[in-house]
Order: sequence, then structure tokens, then C-alpha cells
Amino acid sequence: MYFRLNPECYLIMGKMHGAIFDLIETKLYALNQQETEIIKSCEKNNPIREEEEFLNDLKRLRLGNFYQNRIYMQKLRVGSAANENDIVDSTDPPELHRVFLEINNSCNRNCWYCGYYGVKRSLGCMGCNKWKNDDEPLSLEGWKKVIDEICCLDCRELFITGGDLTLAWDRTMDIIDYARGKVNNINVILHQENLSQNIKDDLADKANIIVQTEDLYKVEQEDLTILLIKLGDEEFTSCLNRNNIIIDIIIDTDKPLSSNLPVMTKKKILPTDVYKFFNNVEYHPCLGHTLSICYNGDVIPCPMMRTHCFGNAKDEELHYVFKKSWERISKFWRLNLDEIDKCTGCEFRYACDDCRALEESLTKKLDGKILCSYDPEKGEWQ
Amino acid sequence: MLEFETPTGNAYAWDNKVGQFIPTSLTMRSVINEMRRKKLVSKEEIIKHLKEKFNEQEISYYYDWINKWGKIRHQNYSSQTTEELHTEENIKYFVLKRGLLHLSLCVTEDCNFRCKYCAYSDSYEYTRSHSNKYMDFAVAKKAIDCYFSLLNKGERYNPLRKPSIGFYGGEPLLNFELIKECEAYIRDTYKDYELILTMTTNGSLLNKEKANWLMEHDFFIAVSLDGPEEEHNRCRVYRNGKGTFGDVIKNIRPIMDKKYKKIYSIAVLDWRSDLFKQEEFFNREDIPSPARISLVSEDGGSRYYKQFTKDDLLAFREQLRAARSYYFGGSYQQKREKITSFFENIVGKIPERDLLSTISVLTPHPIMPFTSACVPGRKLYVDVNGYYYACEKVNGSFPIGNVTEGLNFARISKLIREYINCMDRCPECKVSRKCSFCYPKFETDNGFSCSSKKCEIIESKMKESFAETFALAEQNSELIEKDSYKYKNIKKYCGD
Repeated sequence: MYFRLNPECYLIMGKMHGAIFDLIETKLYALNQQETEIIKSCEKNNPIREEEEFLNDLKRLRLGNFYQNRIYMQKLRVGSAANENDIVDSTDPPELHRVFLEINNSCNRNCWYCGYYGVKRSLGCMGCNKWKNDDEPLSLEGWKKVIDEICCLDCRELFITGGDLTLAWDRTMDIIDYARGKVNNINVILHQENLSQNIKDDLADKANIIVQTEDLYKVEQEDLTILLIKLGDEEFTSCLNRNNIIIDIIIDTDKPLSSNLPVMTKKKILPTDVYKFFNNVEYHPCLGHTLSICYNGDVIPCPMMRTHCFGNAKDEELHYVFKKSWERISKFWRLNLDEIDKCTGCEFRYACDDCRALEESLTKKLDGKILCSYDPEKGEWQ
Repeated sequence: MLEFETPTGNAYAWDNKVGQFIPTSLTMRSVINEMRRKKLVSKEEIIKHLKEKFNEQEISYYYDWINKWGKIRHQNYSSQTTEELHTEENIKYFVLKRGLLHLSLCVTEDCNFRCKYCAYSDSYEYTRSHSNKYMDFAVAKKAIDCYFSLLNKGERYNPLRKPSIGFYGGEPLLNFELIKECEAYIRDTYKDYELILTMTTNGSLLNKEKANWLMEHDFFIAVSLDGPEEEHNRCRVYRNGKGTFGDVIKNIRPIMDKKYKKIYSIAVLDWRSDLFKQEEFFNREDIPSPARISLVSEDGGSRYYKQFTKDDLLAFREQLRAARSYYFGGSYQQKREKITSFFENIVGKIPERDLLSTISVLTPHPIMPFTSACVPGRKLYVDVNGYYYACEKVNGSFPIGNVTEGLNFARISKLIREYINCMDRCPECKVSRKCSFCYPKFETDNGFSCSSKKCEIIESKMKESFAETFALAEQNSELIEKDSYKYKNIKKYCGD
């Protein structure tokens, strides 16, 4: 008798334990050591010596089945696994799915958590930031050219950010209007204090609004996405009953990291369907297929990774930046969690979130990892 | 679904909708039938109906699993009709983004060989014949300029594509001066490009001077070579019928002696080929590795196989079976020296193709929903007169533009629409997502045959191939998956 996981179920091994990913139901089953050994043996097509209750449980969960003979179980995939390269086939076009356009670098506020002060934010990319830099900004025409170019590379999602976008609102609207119809999903990032009814009216049916705030009760509208700024040790679980809230946790580097921070706990493990799973197998869950264009035209991996620059959209066309720096861009895109310090031995790695900008800033290593309280060597959450 | 069984009695099915093989069983099949018979039938009803024949728990398991399987989400392509999809604008976008991978210049239709299976011989009804036509530099230059102009336009859609230009014939070395002229022109005019150059030759004119020049200019050299002398000379002969093997080998040797890496063999088989002699020959260190091995085509109105008997076919099939046993036997895998061998090509890749390629929840792009046919423009073939074709394999009835007026996207669109209209069998084909056919399979002198006329036995052939592949995979899946370039990527999340 044999037992095999179904095509949609993958056993992913960590250093100590394994996990079963059900890619249809998007569920993840963490296994203990004994369960891991049993299912690992089954997946190697070894016969089962005696009927295990654990395997019956898996069958009841519709994760696998018993077979009389050795069978070949083909796993569900996205994309062919075969080697289809030949001499004349060149590289496929890069798939740029998400772009951040930081269209200005001006702001009259002095938020304590602004990138200007080098504050370490878990979702700084979803908020506005001002940076210490006086470079000449990219012109309006320059931004339009960038939008044309990212459309040619099939960009699906655009985040327009600053600075304070309302300081030159007509220019902001020019850019949004230009992008509209070219990119499916446009998001505009604003500070709560700048959000007026007129601005909301201007953006209606054109873009989603992400509002950055420290005080949830100052933003009541359910139709906005709220980026709530919270210090790491603040209590905020009560905020999480609204599903339009995302939490940007500010890491206080003067204090030891608390293992209760959501960026440290199981909460960072996300439901993973077949597309997300294979994306995470090949690419970094956040950096993959993403670029950010700074207000001065610098092309960087994400809005918060400002020390890595692939080129400048003011000096050269974006496609030329790809051509010239593809190896480096690809290195960031393909920095999947197999390549990251302790994630490589973690069984949850293809379902996990990871902010490379923050990790790099905290560990000073591009592949460093500090924001996780799971120890894959022991298979324990701390 | 296309169901099949392996000798161990395991039952599987190819689910063409999802693009995946799944294990199946009599119980599962009965549950599916019940679910199909009545829509919205409950689990309890099905159990009630089937419990006398099958175990209740099994029925329940399959009911749930089939419903779960049905939840697989496919990516949303637009719901445009074929007419809406195949606009000139859409085709142009597709070509600029995903096409232009290779420009093949037919520098002459002349050839000093008269290979018996040649696509341009009298054995083929719908293809051109040999002629003494040669491409001139004016045509070649226009083709090159046009190609680079399209690449420039396409750069913003695919900045990573590198220009690739090949010289083809006839025997292209009969027009060697033109090739040299083209190479110099490309290097002078398009300096900033990282260029890939290829040459497909019969090898007889590849003397020291030409070979050195090709090596110096970093060409990929593909030499047509069918195997050892007897095998090669059986079909590859000069106009006077004399065998060509000696001249070809004499020319290849200095290239191999220099350890030049970019030389490959292209071999052709027919039902009288001696596969084991070919395997031995192509494993030699002094013989270029076979990059492509193909069976003489039965397409294009081929009469070639009329000279063969049924016994020839049966003997050939027997050889293939023996080659397969030998290749997948343990000793072969241990002793083989070359990464790509002859048997690797003819039998080793079949299970890999069955198991790994096109296995995906990703559905074919709606612009070309059936078969493996490309969107013409993916590669460009230019004949001696400067007419564009989808590739060197399609006949002269389907030009898609010319070097003076450029690529004609309206013609490409028309060609695709005509082709798709003839693919009448495909919507109900149980293996359509694994189809490897393309234009030459269906082309006539003035259009395409319907797939219903050409594909009668494809499902049964695939079923046979799947059963053999799965029988192998049940015993040793590593053997099949080992050379896939994504192998490590697959294995790293499979429990090892």
C-alpha cells in the first residue's frame, strides 16, 4: 500500500519539519517531526508498512489518497517545467507587474516616522516619504514617458506616491489621468491630513486611495485603504476587525525586537494559491516583478531600497535600463526566500511575507533576516 | 479527460481543461459520470446511487476531491472573439513583444546535394523545387535593415531580446560571398547589438577557409549529418548519386579538433534508419552532438514513404522500442558520456515532453488557441526573392510580407484566422493542450486541411505514449526529470 499527496498538495521541507501546501484551498498544514518523516517517505513512493492514522487524517482532509501500487503523482504547476530553450530562442520579455512612481519629494509636514529621518517602517512603501536629496526632479513629460514604457512591459499595478502629492495637485492629476486606461490598477498614496472631499472627488473612479495616518479614527471612510502607523510595542489588534486597514509597524531599533510583532509571528504567513506559490518559488514575494522610480528618475528595486540603483529614467529610457541592468534587476526579482539567510531552511518559505528593505536596513545584509520568531532548526516559534 | 492505464494497473487521466495528469479509478470515474448526468446532484444522492458497487468513503472522497479540483482558477484572458483578437494592431503588438526571435535568410535555393528526403525534392507536392536562384545583397540588406528596424520598435516591449540571424538554403555556402558581405554589414551598421549568427549547412563546402571564417565570427554551425557512412550516404547524396559522407567528415574534423563548441549535427531518420549505429556514431567525441533529430516529414503532400513497406514501419517501431529499453536501462545512464546524445533526442525526450512540457494551469494564449503553431513573425524566414514566411518549413503559398513593403500584419492576421477556422477538431480534442502540430501539418497548396481530417489517431497515439511514460515514471521519475533545466527548482520543493 502506498500513500501520495494529491497533485495540488506539495510537501515543503524545512530543516526540521515539513509543511503541506494545499494550493487549491490555499491552506497550509504544519507537520511535526514524526508526521514529516511519514509523509516524506510516502512522497518518495515508499510503501507504507502499516496504516497510519495520520495518513487517514490527510485523506479526510482531501489532501492525499492510498494506492495499491507505486504511482507517479504529477504536481500542479504554473508554466512548463521542461527545458524548452534552443539556440535561437532569446529571452522572454521581463514581466513588470508593479511599479511605484514617486512623483515628488516635497512635503511641509515633519512626520516623525518619515523616511527622511531614516525610520525603519514595515510598510514604508505604502506610505509617503520625503528623502534627503535635492536632485532635479523628473519632468511631467518624463513621467508620461515612464508610464508609456511601463505599459509596454505590461505593468498591472501602479502606486503613485510622494512627498505630498497635493502640493502640486494639478500635476498629480495630470499624471493619474495619463496613466488611467493604460494601467488597470492605480493607487494614490496620501497623508490623512491632505485628504479633502475635493481630492476624493477628483480621484473617484480613477484611482484607489491609500491614506497614511497615525490615528485610525481620523479616517472613517470604508472605501479607502488605511495605512495605520503603529509603534512596534503599541496594542493594535482591536484595529484589525476592519479589512481595509494595513498596519505599518515602526521598528524601534533602540529596543530589542519583540517576538509578538506581527512581522515576527505566524501572521506573516499568507494564504497561497498555485500562482502565488510558484511566484514565490521563483521570485521574491515582494520585490519580484517590481520597480520603483524615484522623483529624480532613479530606478530602484522598491521605494525603501534607495542604495540600489539600476539606472536613471531622466538620462535613459526605461527599456534601456532593463537592457543594461537586467542581471542586477533579475537578481533582486529572483531573490526568493531560498536565498535568504534563515528562510532557506523554513518549511513556510513559499507562503511567507518578507520586507527586504527593512531586513537589509536592520541586518546590513541583502540576504539577512531578523524579523521572524520561527526557528526552522528547532521547528519552534519563540 | 483522456484516460489510460499502466501495466501495473494504475489508472490516470490527462485533464486537458486544467493541463494536468491526475490519478483516477473506477470509483472516481463513476462519481464523475453521476455528477455529469445530473447537475447539482448532492453527495448523498451519489452515495445512495453507487454504494452497492463502491465503498461509501471512497465515493465521498472522490466527490469532494472532484469539487475541489474544479475550483482551480485559470487566469482571465479577455473574452474577445477571434475577430476582435486578430486585429492588425494586436498581431503587431504580439510580434513586437514576443516575436522577431530569429531572421533566417535563404541565401540560395541551389544545392549541390540531392538528398532523397529533401523537402524541396519531387517527393513533396506542396513545396518549392531546387532552383539556381540566389539572394542578392540588395534583398539581404533590406531584410536585415527591416529586421533591426522591427527590433528597435520592439525594444520597449522586450528589451532583453537579442538579434539572431541565420543563413539557410539550399546550401548557403554556395553563396558564401553574400554571407560575408551580410556579416560585415551587420557588424558595421548595428554595432551596439549582441548578435547571434547561425549557419545551416550540408558540410560539403565547409573547407578550411570557410570553417575558419565561421569560427572567427562566432557562428553557431549546424551541419546536416545522418550518422555513419552507410547511413548518411543512403539518402544524402550529390546530384550524381555519389555519397557525401567522406567530404562532410573531412570538413568537420578540423573544427572538432579545435574544440569549437558551437557546432551541432542535424540528423534525419526514416523507417530504414539503423538507430543503434546512429547512436554509436553520435556518441563519438569527434562528431558534433545532435541538436535536432527529425523523422522525414509525412506533411506537405509527402510521397516519400510510398517506397517503404509495412514491414519497414514495423521494424522501425521495433527499433524504437529497443532503443527505449536500452536508453532507460540503468547501464546506459551510467555509461553515457554526452549530455545530449542521439537516443536522448529520439527516445529520452518523449517522456520528458509528456510529463513536463505544457503541464500547467496556464492556458494557451487566445491569439493562437490551438496546436503549437506560432504567431507568424515569431521567427522570420526570407526567401531569395525577399518574401517573408513564418519559417523555412511552410510552403510558398503563405507569404506574410516582403522586404520592400515590410511585414504585413494584415496577412498574418488573415493566415491565423484561416488556420484557426480549419482547426475544427481541436475544441473537442482531449489532448489539444499537448498538441505539437503546426502549419506544415495542415498546409496544402492553397490553404489548410481541417484538423478533423489529419488528427484521427492523435488521441490514441498520445494515450499509448502517456501509458509508456507513466510506466517508466512509476519506477523511476528521476530518470525523466533529471535533465530539465528547472529540475532543481522542481526537486527543491518535493521533499528532498
